[in-house]
Amino acid sequence: MMAESTTLEPRWCSYFFLYDGSKVTEEGDPTRAGICYFYPEETPLDQQELLCGQLAGVCRCIHEMSRSPARLVRLRRRKFAIRMRGDFLWALGCTMDIPDVSAWAFLDHLISLFRFYNGSIRQSYQLRSKEELAPQWSHYLDHLQGGASELHHIFSALNTIDSTHIDPLLLLKAALILQACQRCPLVVAGCISYHGRVVSTQMPPELTAMVVVCQRDPQNLDFAPVANGLGSAGPQTPSTSVNSTAVFLSPAELHALRYPPVDRVHRSVSHPQQTTCAGKPRLLSRTLSDIPEPTGLVAPRASFQTMLCSTGSSLSDEGGSAPRVSPEPTHHPFPSPASGSDGQALPHFLANQEAHQAGWPNGLPLPRPEDLRNEGDLQGHTYKDSMSCDNKGEGATEKRGFVNQLEKLSCVEDRDGTRGTKESGKGNQEDDHKTSEPVEEELPLVAMALYRHRVRGLVLALLVEPHFQNDAVAMEEVYHSSLASLNGLEAHLCSTALEPSSAQGCPYTFVHYDCLQNTLATNLPFTGPPVPAGEAQGTVLVKAAALLHTHFSQDAMLQEVILRNAGSAVYGTCNSAQETYFLQQGATVRNSGVPNPQDSAFSLPTKARHKLLKHGLNLL
Amino acid sequence: MKCLLIASESAEVLFYWADPDFQQSIRNQYEGSQEEGGRPPAFEDSINTLFAPIIISCSTMIDRMGDSYTSFSTEDQHVYVLRQFEDCLYIAVNGDGEESEEDLKRKIYVMKKLTEVHFGMVTLSSPLLRRELRPHDTDQRNRLWRKFQSLLGTYSRLREQDQSFLVEAVERLVQPTLCEQCIEFLERRLVQTINSSAERAGEEALHAFILVHTKLLAFYSSRSASPLTSSDLLALILMVQNQYPSNSDLDDMSPEDIPNSSAPDVFYTPEPSPTGRQSGAEQACVPVFQFVDPDIQVAEDSLQALEAPPMDPAMPSRVFLEATLKDGFCPMMPHSMYCLPLWPGITLVLLTKIHNCQVAVSVYYFLNCFTQLERKLSDLQFGAALPRSQHSLHDLRSKMDKFVRALGSSSSMQHTWNDFKNKVFSRGGPRVSKELLPHCRNMKTQLCNLYRQCFVADGPRDCQRLAPSLQERARLLVQEQLLDWKDFLLVKSRRNVTMVSYLEEFPGMVHFIYVDRTTGQMIAPSLSVTDHSISELGTGPLARFIKSKVWSCVGTARHYLQKGYTTVTFRDGDYYCCYFLWVESETGYKLEVVDPPVLSDDSAPVGMLAWDYYRKLLRYYTKNHQTEVVKCYELLTIHLGVIPSECILQHCYQLACKLWEPSRIPLL
Repeated sequence: MMAESTTLEPRWCSYFFLYDGSKVTEEGDPTRAGICYFYPEETPLDQQELLCGQLAGVCRCIHEMSRSPARLVRLRRRKFAIRMRGDFLWALGCTMDIPDVSAWAFLDHLISLFRFYNGSIRQSYQLRSKEELAPQWSHYLDHLQGGASELHHIFSALNTIDSTHIDPLLLLKAALILQACQRCPLVVAGCISYHGRVVSTQMPPELTAMVVVCQRDPQNLDFAPVANGLGSAGPQTPSTSVNSTAVFLSPAELHALRYPPVDRVHRSVSHPQQTTCAGKPRLLSRTLSDIPEPTGLVAPRASFQTMLCSTGSSLSDEGGSAPRVSPEPTHHPFPSPASGSDGQALPHFLANQEAHQAGWPNGLPLPRPEDLRNEGDLQGHTYKDSMSCDNKGEGATEKRGFVNQLEKLSCVEDRDGTRGTKESGKGNQEDDHKTSEPVEEELPLVAMALYRHRVRGLVLALLVEPHFQNDAVAMEEVYHSSLASLNGLEAHLCSTALEPSSAQGCPYTFVHYDCLQNTLATNLPFTGPPVPAGEAQGTVLVKAAALLHTHFSQDAMLQEVILRNAGSAVYGTCNSAQETYFLQQGATVRNSGVPNPQDSAFSLPTKARHKLLKHGLNLL
Repeated sequence: MKCLLIASESAEVLFYWADPDFQQSIRNQYEGSQEEGGRPPAFEDSINTLFAPIIISCSTMIDRMGDSYTSFSTEDQHVYVLRQFEDCLYIAVNGDGEESEEDLKRKIYVMKKLTEVHFGMVTLSSPLLRRELRPHDTDQRNRLWRKFQSLLGTYSRLREQDQSFLVEAVERLVQPTLCEQCIEFLERRLVQTINSSAERAGEEALHAFILVHTKLLAFYSSRSASPLTSSDLLALILMVQNQYPSNSDLDDMSPEDIPNSSAPDVFYTPEPSPTGRQSGAEQACVPVFQFVDPDIQVAEDSLQALEAPPMDPAMPSRVFLEATLKDGFCPMMPHSMYCLPLWPGITLVLLTKIHNCQVAVSVYYFLNCFTQLERKLSDLQFGAALPRSQHSLHDLRSKMDKFVRALGSSSSMQHTWNDFKNKVFSRGGPRVSKELLPHCRNMKTQLCNLYRQCFVADGPRDCQRLAPSLQERARLLVQEQLLDWKDFLLVKSRRNVTMVSYLEEFPGMVHFIYVDRTTGQMIAPSLSVTDHSISELGTGPLARFIKSKVWSCVGTARHYLQKGYTTVTFRDGDYYCCYFLWVESETGYKLEVVDPPVLSDDSAPVGMLAWDYYRKLLRYYTKNHQTEVVKCYELLTIHLGVIPSECILQHCYQLACKLWEPSRIPLL
């Protein structure tokens, strides 16, 4: 269904392992005792032991000599990004052409994902066995290796929907859904993604990157017939599912989340310029009913009924014309393996139970269906609560905004100081990188919960206070308040061609990376097989971008670069907010390489500025 | 914190060089063991213990993964670079952020080049090289190691201070008339005098050149000589600088202050700092090292070299240089090098051909034959034999027989060769199978050993050399010729090209470097940043800043060249830097550029000193232009960022045209 789901070549992760040095302390201890996880799992054990033993040994030796943990081990044909924390050592083996910064980001992201869903690494491995945790790692690796394009990996950017090809109204709608959910005081922030791509988010980029995980495997769910056939669900029934799981945030992440910089919401994917410049005027009143329904994909109305909620809410205008659904207990299609045949009316946490059981390891209680049963209370309760929440929340947030930004800044500086390295000019990127660094060994983690509601490809993920899971009323309210809108949004997105924009016929290609939102805009094919015709312009640009990205990340003073070889010229520019790479096709004739003021390569900066304006990108 | 280590596969230290910071950090690590045992372990032992796990892991990885480490880096920017050449593992370490991974890699390759210049083809046999690098005799070992340590120190200093060592091309003094006069003088007077003298003891002067600091004033090669490669010339300049360092402080004094003497030990000699080597009693004064200025450290390195008994200054050094002769090619042909200091900072260098150097050509020829045979054999299936049409084998046999006969019968070479012959040619015809491999290797080792005995082992000590009186006569001849120019030359070498002379034509230009890679020569405005001399940029932070900018630009340009880009322009802070590489025919016709090959990260560094990247590049270009002589040029410019880029490019274009002519000064 999705062209972009082609898996990435194994270049990015030919090996990955986690090694616990504390298990191998004495001469006789076998190396295998220390290997917590090794990817690819089918690697022969002696090979695993060889790699882990040698790398861990060398890294420890380096650590002792330099009194600083090893970060990168390069071999002739492969390199390993390393992370050492306490006795643990993570290593990610990738090919040589991958920029170091990207490999580190990949590894750090992987480590953070584990920490986010499982908590501290030490504790996880104390409480649970290697075998139990192995599927977790493989799951995160699958997630990281699938879906995103080479470019996304180079920049460690969030995978977002191409907002230029989408009705801006949909983005607005998504943002409104998230805002509506926040009416519940227990909801901290949310994110909506579609087939693994972020549609709208209220979270900082690094947290968004974590909550969109789990987007791969549910795909099978999409198409798999519901197993236990409860209710009236036939094979054609869309499996809409809700679950919630415990997650763990670092204090810094939580702080950024609770007290976001003022403009966080506006800096989400649907930034205004893109919304306005799409050039496809649409009636504001246009809704789901206006577009033809793709049969078989939209929620069958028979089983859903409209629930009227929050008439005064921001969702009201859309709620007016959208199909109203309100779940009627007896017809509810959720299969519910836990509750047997009593036909529980309410959504509970059945989405691929096996996979997720592992998701909340430390015995946080599942919200029992009984808790959610009392539908009668629901509306009144919600309404009241959300109103009060609105008032409280927004005022507080705005007031605190600046103070917190300052706090955050000073906090970053402190950390800079202690590390005593690197330039401060790249504050923003540094900032981002740091927050995503796994620091769990030093700082206590804060438990939160992640509520997820899936409507086919569409996922609403909400970071909620831990006791949200026990609060049946709140949960039900959130569920019902968003269900209809999600269905609507999903149907719209589904009908919108998400086919990637293609550079075909375009005389230039570009990549634009937004360092603040951690997003990428490009007119290159999203992923796709490498173009067979040798050095296609896409490949040329990607290669140059990888080189330049590394250079930009090393040299804070560097602003723009033009690279020229016989057949191509690439322009790259960077400031604290964005990085842009531009390649003009065909215009660069072969030259002799001698300084030539007439060479078209040197007019690239002007061209890039002009051409990118058309894409709503303003090179500062 | 810097260190360079050469280790054998069995983790034996073959050579090390460590700066005081590194030595101190190692000593700190082993302080504990000192309390138990009374004396701290010897530095060499500590370094051995410290690196052993890495070295062992390295060979394990090669054996079992078929891959080897090339570098490590840590969170606080410590960098370790590793390279394996045959059985020798080179490890370079930096912990102070002053050197990048690329710099360390370059240092390793330079070290390798220095061993080649010193030991010639002995480096082709690892067991022999191991023995040469680590002589059993402690005194001998210390002397050798100090020599290399001092050379590395000199190299680091030059790479930091001298543009010609930055871009790895020779800088000439731009003084065409004087240049020509000197070349003529070297040819008509000097070389003739030497080669017609009876005191030359069978040697023949091939090349003669005059250096003013690191800059070349005049260079003459006799007609029969093979051209000297840029790589070798740079290595020789490095060696001369090591022997007679041009200390920047010294040069800033007026020349009159300096006693006019040619003795080699007149240069700046500070009190030797305690080496801390002796015992724990000296620990108290050890912190001194933490504040040691890098310049002083270099001076210390050269001091260490002087601890050895002073060498006879008239004693030539044996150097091994590439030679392409009528009767064959030899990458490491033995020469004798005579360094005759004329005045501090000005040196006359003579390279002579030694009497039995033909042996080297033959040894290389046979080594090549056996290597090819070895390659063919190892490609064979087990039990298979090479086809019998072995013309090359018979050819080898007859030539080798002749060679061995000429050497005399007592040699162990004879023995090994007979062994080999018995294996191959007995039983009624050649039987050439895999069993022969060890014999092949034995032959190669024997050949290297022969080479070692002829040219390395006894050294030039007891063999003939130009008589000291002849050397003195040569020195006086040139001194007399240059007497009036001496002071001018010393100043000129600091102000060879000035940016001021270009400013009117190229307003806004801050610096440029122009390199003719075919001849390995460069032109650039002088950038001497010392505390005493006032450069064009003035003194202090700005001058240093520009200098560091130039250094980083060269690094950047090289990086992108390695990745296949021949033109790079970038805006870096308030400056705009451009780099161009292009090729043209001899007549100046610009040839269409071909994308240079993209090199992997572990390839040899782009440069000319340790490994001539540009020669390879030219060969690559020549494929498409086989009939023409292809020339390769590089231009690097730095402008103020406020200058419009069209203007900058116009400057680059004009500058390239303008500089084209001076680079044609004949080198002869």
